[in-house]
Amino acid sequence: MLVKLLSSSMKKMWKDYLVLLFGLTISIAIFYMFETLAQNQAFLEANALISSIVFVFHVGTFILALVTIFYIFYATSFILSLRQKELGMYMTLGAKKGKVTQMMFLETLIIGIFSLIIGLVFGVGLSEGIARLLMSRLDFSGEGFEAFYPSSLVTTILFYFVLFLLTAIVNAIRVARKSVLELLHADQKADTKTIKGWKTFLGTLIAIVLITVGYVAMINMGDLAHLGVLIAAATVTPGTYFFFMAMLPFLIKRIKAIRSINEKGLNSFTYAQLNFRVSQLTKVLGTVTMLIALGLGAMTAGLSFYHNTEIHSSLMHGYDIKVHQPTEDELAEMKNWELEERNLYSYRVTDDGVYFSKHDLQANPPVIKEIGGNLEELSKEVRLTDDLTAPVYTDEETDDAESIPEQWQTALRTELMANFYLFGDRTLYILDQEKFEEINASTQTVLIGKVDNFTDYTDTLAKIDERHHQLAIDYTGEDPTMIGSKYESYTSLKSLANGTIFMGLFLGVAFLMMMASVLMFKLLSSATADIERYQMLRKIGVRQAKLKISIYKELFLVFLFPGLIGLVHVLIGMEMFSFILIEPYTKLWIPISLFLVIYGLYYWLTVKMYQRIVLPKD
Amino acid sequence: MTKPVVNVANAQKVFGKKSENQFKALDNVSFTIEEGEFVGIMGPSGAGKTTLLNVVSTLDKATSGKIEIAGQDITDMKQNELADFRSEQLGFIFQDFNLLENLTVYENIALPLSLQGVSSRKIKPLVIEVAEKLGIKSVLQKYPVTISGGQKQRAAAARALVHEPAIILADEPTGALDSKNAHSLMRTMEQLNQFHDVSIMLVTHDPLSASYCERILFIQDGNLYKEIKKTGDKQHFHQQILNVLAELTSIHSL
Ligand SMILES: Nc1ncnc2c1ncn2[C@@H]1O[C@H](COP(=O)(O)OP(=O)(O)O)[C@@H](O)[C@H]1O
Ligand SMILES: [Mg+2]
Repeated sequence: MLVKLLSSSMKKMWKDYLVLLFGLTISIAIFYMFETLAQNQAFLEANALISSIVFVFHVGTFILALVTIFYIFYATSFILSLRQKELGMYMTLGAKKGKVTQMMFLETLIIGIFSLIIGLVFGVGLSEGIARLLMSRLDFSGEGFEAFYPSSLVTTILFYFVLFLLTAIVNAIRVARKSVLELLHADQKADTKTIKGWKTFLGTLIAIVLITVGYVAMINMGDLAHLGVLIAAATVTPGTYFFFMAMLPFLIKRIKAIRSINEKGLNSFTYAQLNFRVSQLTKVLGTVTMLIALGLGAMTAGLSFYHNTEIHSSLMHGYDIKVHQPTEDELAEMKNWELEERNLYSYRVTDDGVYFSKHDLQANPPVIKEIGGNLEELSKEVRLTDDLTAPVYTDEETDDAESIPEQWQTALRTELMANFYLFGDRTLYILDQEKFEEINASTQTVLIGKVDNFTDYTDTLAKIDERHHQLAIDYTGEDPTMIGSKYESYTSLKSLANGTIFMGLFLGVAFLMMMASVLMFKLLSSATADIERYQMLRKIGVRQAKLKISIYKELFLVFLFPGLIGLVHVLIGMEMFSFILIEPYTKLWIPISLFLVIYGLYYWLTVKMYQRIVLPKD
Repeated sequence: MTKPVVNVANAQKVFGKKSENQFKALDNVSFTIEEGEFVGIMGPSGAGKTTLLNVVSTLDKATSGKIEIAGQDITDMKQNELADFRSEQLGFIFQDFNLLENLTVYENIALPLSLQGVSSRKIKPLVIEVAEKLGIKSVLQKYPVTISGGQKQRAAAARALVHEPAIILADEPTGALDSKNAHSLMRTMEQLNQFHDVSIMLVTHDPLSASYCERILFIQDGNLYKEIKKTGDKQHFHQQILNVLAELTSIHSL
């Protein structure tokens, strides 16, 4: 009998249940999505620039699990709020408390399991879809990535099953502890708890201490390494929730207490909307903040790796352009380039030697890069001096000639690309003019130069490198695996970075999607109660425009705080990467403004949608 | 008692679109309420009482006819004008209290004033004054869920009164109250009417509540059926009302 009642009332409120299912499903799908990456160790290790990537993902799982626990407890408490009035009614009709409690337990569990099934199917599809899309966009083969990953499936099922079991128990206990009357009138109950001053103070203090410790850990990631990641995760996450639990109710209370603000127009209502279910709101806002931090952080880190490939490739190469034996076409093309420095050097090649003209080298001494001890010092650019006094220098061990000074060796091998790939095991020489003329071979030139924006010329540089490969075949008889140009290290770094970018964007999209679904859930789950309130306000003569503004204001605050704090988390969090990235903040404005635009758009959309639900059409 | 505060002329209300089967909830209803009057609207369930009140209160638009309140024709007003008009000229009390449960009683009562841009300095004395009048000063800082039904209805009355509207419109305000609370609320409304010259239009199906009015309009199937005026005391009026209701039911059972 009770089961029949249960299913019939579920039919009645199918819209509310749909909202709930949607919220749970997305959360499960995203958790699974994250785990497809986190547990695929082989893929992570093969494709990440970060050596301890597996560890980072473990910590990520921990944070996501924490955030999910808060969210699921919030979402499933919605079942209770939907049903308690009805349960109270059954009890007035004679249903036993035990039976009603059991019903609540079963219902929560069934809804959980049901959404788990849908969520997993959805999660597999979503992983596949997003991965495919990103791979084709990034030109990234993504070998080893599997959208259907059994061990992730098992983890997700276990995690959510336990979680739903717990929430079912909590819901059942809540029902068991309430009297019939409390159940009947529960929907009107406000939880505007009067929070004690000292509790607010303590909460705020804990929040500040935790977040500060987390920030310090992130800034000193270079020294703390794994420990730093752990500390940051274990402090910033609870710190964020503490912040919202203590600060937010306090802040709203404070604003409400200023009568000249609160009693102006609809303000009392707008702030009351925020104040009314403040404990639910704090869970939502804390969760949203963490998801923004994770999502935006993942994206920013991914893109930062991408933008750092240019910087990385400049570490080794003083010159952007290195062309051996330039053709007429190439020379003509390069005439249009804005070269900051352009040097030509003569050399001759025989069967066992490559001979450079000392005259040319001394006329225009090139720069080389000297790598500092750690990344923070970057590499220094050093201009060589014309201290070549001997008539002959060579890189071979011999008594006949001086050996080429180390800096000059670097200049020839790296900047002038007189390397093994191109010339095989020929010996290098630097000769004065007289000796140079004696070499029986035609004079060749190598052109090196610097440009302002290296990435503008990659098309031509690719063609030049192709010709270099041909040249190498001519000189050595085999096609070398690499050639040693800056363009080459740029492309290979970029393809390495692609894996990291893929992970960053994949997770970024996932987390931001979950963020959107959490906000959406908050909105839709409170809409039914709000329809009545807005109707009432209309009846007593509030203009539609004022109601609209009130919605804009209310949701602005709901969006503002998580957005702001999430952003600060990311800004500080990027410091974590300063030990692997040279400039983690390069082009940071790109992902951030992208986020702000999307977030702003989502805010606007949410407002419009909410207005459609709670206000009649004009 | 000379100026009409409500003037309804040939009001019609038809539900349903032209193409569908239509239902005439109000059929050529005309009446006036003078300033300071306490008028009751009675009739069996489904007679069109709420429809009439909604049309008068500008919450719904009459299909045809003319309705004036406080000398202003409301039939041609735009949505925004209507909203402003309601917030300035009308006070509402509904059956299901219609307090915003996320605001304290004080904030609920203050809302109409805030909406009109009254400064918070002036709001407080006005709210306290009206709360005293209605005997709910002690619950001002509480939320609606924590007070009794009678107190809620008084709070709703206070909110309806605080901005000194031209008329208070009440739809079954005692419907959800026990008889003791119902009496007490009606006595308060009677006092507001007698000592503070508040005009009231009250929809009710409860003869006891109705006996507090000065004049009663009976409606039946969307038509004005009869009008009676209080001539003697409350008991007598109560008996009169019961008689008319008996007439009405006997017509119905024919
Ligand atoms: N929005 C509506 N659409 C169609 N019919 C309605 C609507 N509102 C009321 N009615 C009908 O109009 C009649 C009068 O309703 P109402 O004024 O609510 O009666 P009451 O006198 O009980 O307050 C009823 O028969 C009702 O079914
Ligand atoms: Mg009615």
